[in-house]
Amino acid sequence: MKNKTTRFLITSLIGVALLCVCVFSFFAIHMSNQSARTINQVGTLYMSSMSQQISVHFESIISLQMDQLRMLTDTITSDAVHRDQALQEELVAGAKARDFNYLAFYSSGGEFEMLHGDQLTVTDPEPFLASLRKGEQKVAIGTNTRGEKVILLGMPSPHAPTPEHNCAALVAGLPVSYISDNLSLEENSERAYSFIIRRDGSFVIRTNEAYRNNYFERVRALYEDVSGMTADQYIEALDAAMAENRDYTTEFVMGGERFHLYCTHLPYSEWYLITFLPYGSMDTIVNGFSREWGSMTVFSGVIILTALMLVFYKYYGLTRQQLREVEEARRAAEAAQKDAEHANRAKSEFLSNMSHDIRTPMNAIVGMTAIATANIDDQQQVKNCLKKITLSSKHLLGLINDVLDMSKIESGKMTLNMDQISLREVVDSIVSICQPQVKAKHQQFDVFIHDISTENVLCDSVRLNQVMLNLLSNAIKFTPEGGEIHMALYEEESPKGEDFVRIQIQVKDNGIGMSKDFVSHIFDSFAREDSARVHRTEGTGLGMAITKFIVVDAMGGSIDVDSAQGKGTEFNVTLDLEKADVVEEDMILPNWNMLVVDDDRQLCESTAAALQSIGVNAEWTLDGESAVEMVVKRHQRQDGYHIILLDWKLPGMDGIATARRIREALGDDAVPILLISAYDWGEIEHSAREAGITGFISKPLFKSTLFNSLRQFAGDLEEKREEAAQTEQRRDLSGKRILLAEDNELNWEIASELLSEEGLVLDWAENGQICVEMLNESPPGYYDAILMDIRMPVMGGYEATQVIRTLERPDRDLPIIAMTADAFAEDVKRSLDCGMNAHVAKPIDVREVMRLLDKFIK
Amino acid sequence: MTLKECYAALGGDYDDVLGRLPERLVQKFVLKFLNDGSYDLLCRSLADGDRAEAFRAAHTIKGVCANLGFSALLESSEQLTEALRDGAPPQPGEEELIRRVGEDYQRTVQAIQAFQGALGA
Repeated sequence: MKNKTTRFLITSLIGVALLCVCVFSFFAIHMSNQSARTINQVGTLYMSSMSQQISVHFESIISLQMDQLRMLTDTITSDAVHRDQALQEELVAGAKARDFNYLAFYSSGGEFEMLHGDQLTVTDPEPFLASLRKGEQKVAIGTNTRGEKVILLGMPSPHAPTPEHNCAALVAGLPVSYISDNLSLEENSERAYSFIIRRDGSFVIRTNEAYRNNYFERVRALYEDVSGMTADQYIEALDAAMAENRDYTTEFVMGGERFHLYCTHLPYSEWYLITFLPYGSMDTIVNGFSREWGSMTVFSGVIILTALMLVFYKYYGLTRQQLREVEEARRAAEAAQKDAEHANRAKSEFLSNMSHDIRTPMNAIVGMTAIATANIDDQQQVKNCLKKITLSSKHLLGLINDVLDMSKIESGKMTLNMDQISLREVVDSIVSICQPQVKAKHQQFDVFIHDISTENVLCDSVRLNQVMLNLLSNAIKFTPEGGEIHMALYEEESPKGEDFVRIQIQVKDNGIGMSKDFVSHIFDSFAREDSARVHRTEGTGLGMAITKFIVVDAMGGSIDVDSAQGKGTEFNVTLDLEKADVVEEDMILPNWNMLVVDDDRQLCESTAAALQSIGVNAEWTLDGESAVEMVVKRHQRQDGYHIILLDWKLPGMDGIATARRIREALGDDAVPILLISAYDWGEIEHSAREAGITGFISKPLFKSTLFNSLRQFAGDLEEKREEAAQTEQRRDLSGKRILLAEDNELNWEIASELLSEEGLVLDWAENGQICVEMLNESPPGYYDAILMDIRMPVMGGYEATQVIRTLERPDRDLPIIAMTADAFAEDVKRSLDCGMNAHVAKPIDVREVMRLLDKFIK
Repeated sequence: MTLKECYAALGGDYDDVLGRLPERLVQKFVLKFLNDGSYDLLCRSLADGDRAEAFRAAHTIKGVCANLGFSALLESSEQLTEALRDGAPPQPGEEELIRRVGEDYQRTVQAIQAFQGALGA
């Protein structure tokens, strides 16, 4: 199609260009011809008028001279005597006066009788004589004795001086130059020049260039061709014209120059004026005009051609662009079709895989249901069947969820539900979900948290869970039994600013790995490496596509994969998450000494740093033996550890054995020992408890994990300590006698009732005055304490206290506790200032009162 | 009428008082509140212009109410106590406080009397 269009365009361009050239050439040639014709016409017109002018001029010159001659002739009368001396002298004088060089009588016999000048001969006497005889005036050419040409003017004279001589005319001679000078026949070469010939072609007056005597001879000698005729033809034509006495005009090229020739008869003579007009100047002008015309033509032709070329070029460009677009569209369509076919094929493959994958659990469900039905009474069997049905259902649900997610992604409907989440909770839940699978395959699973300071971020926890779970479950799936799986979380500064934090999630295994070829397709939909190794591993082939979509497209992060067949796979997910706007709990623990024991140095350092940041003085060591040593040393210095964190899996002596040794060395179980484990500790719990393990702490060890776990244990410790203190100091106060100063009976009764229940014996004083009196009247030591209301009639609590403190009694310092509805700080202060021991506010809090009594009663 | 309903009627905090006293004692002391002369003393003192005594009486009412969990009367009597504290001169609005204490006291007394009546029946 492209070539066709191009060919058409090029052909049409060439065609149009040729047409242009032809038209313009035609115009040029036509104009040139036209101009040549015009020049010819102009030349003819010009020549005829010029020739006429010369002819007239010639006639006037000749007639002037003829008149002069006639005047001479008139002097000759019929009476005059032939050879009269006087007449002859008169004639000669007249001739001289009139500038005639020659003067002669011409006899009818054709003989000259010279009166003045040399002897003359007429070149062609016949026509001359004939005319003279007829009485006509005539001009002729003749020669003198020196052979010089002379113009002869013949004037017939009726009065012949010598009848015997039969004188026909008086002839005057003039030099040829006279005429030629007067006629100005010699012109410069640019313009016309003329000469005069006789009928036989001999020159009467010739130009300088014409060295021959006869024009015809000259023509014959010089020119082979005159205007398409031979020289003879030309001469014939000229001669014929002369014979008919008409003007002759023609045009010919002579010596490379174009000439226009005009021939006309001159009066008084047998002469012919031939005028040449060289076209040189006119040709120059016309040629210049022609050239200008031609160049204009060429120029306009070029302009038109250029314009055409431009149009063509533009059109060509447009066409090509259209072609390109069409081509691109075609390619895109092809690619789209290919993609569609590929997707279609993938979907078909997926469906066939799926049908297998779905059928397997469905078969299990159907089969197990049948077995359960058949053994409905065998509870154990039914339980077993139900368990398997549950597992299969879950697997089926997983498949369906993946497919739904994928269709959500493909229809662009998956959106994130951003919420405040705790990374610790997310990782915790992931770890607990993965643990059963890891345990089933006896894999080593380790989670490592590296200095995560921002645990609370904004993210879609469901999707983040999904990503981690996908990566981990793949790692578990493609790592053989006994392999290692490592998950790590790092925190970095985010390039997005202070409000963000960059979280790196690394999932690494030493499983079967992937081929390079497959790694490049791992994020494609329905991708599953098709090899015998993974043939049995179930899955939809959608997990990684979903993962990539969530991480990259939805969360704006990145995911990298590094894998080698047989060596393992490592996924790195990088996410920039916004920090959650929460006031983080002020996590501070008492300044305890703690020991962290783990064979992973990084974990020790990271955990110790986290502990330091929550106020705990942490030390760490890498193995059980050194741990026991350190514990014993500290114990001997009476500066034992408050809590010990022990990893379960240690080189050599494991965590449980270490705990046992520590318990043996210390000889008590006062120090809590916590076992660090990423695993469900159900299996080891029994042996661990036996060995003296106090509790468990689960990996990953976020700061908050540590804080929450330790606070719980620390709380227990504090409580224990307090309880111990209480049981030590708490005494039985029953039987103690208390004097209660209270003006209001109702209040008194309430207090009395409540405190009696505690075994106290109470006496009532209705105001401060009575209180003082009662105390004073009692034997010393009778009352163990006084509870004193402040606002009482007669004497208030403050005064009463002041009085009691100044009594001359050994027991004047007995405890006095203010008990009042006033609970302001200044009231408390005033009570103490007055000498009271403590202050309790109403309503009466029995426990508080008992605590204070317990404190102050000696 | 139960004791709880009685507390609801007089604007008291039954749960609070039960936290400190056994129900038996609460009932006993609530009934005894009817015989308490503090309110009469308050009224008399105010009528006599004995502001110091009036303060003490208001203070006593406040103490009793705190012990018995009579929240409404406790609140109004506490405000009056502060208004009368240290023999302060009468302030605008004091009348209003006295009126409110009276209202709350009447309401309390009526509720307890109703309860007493219910017990008797």
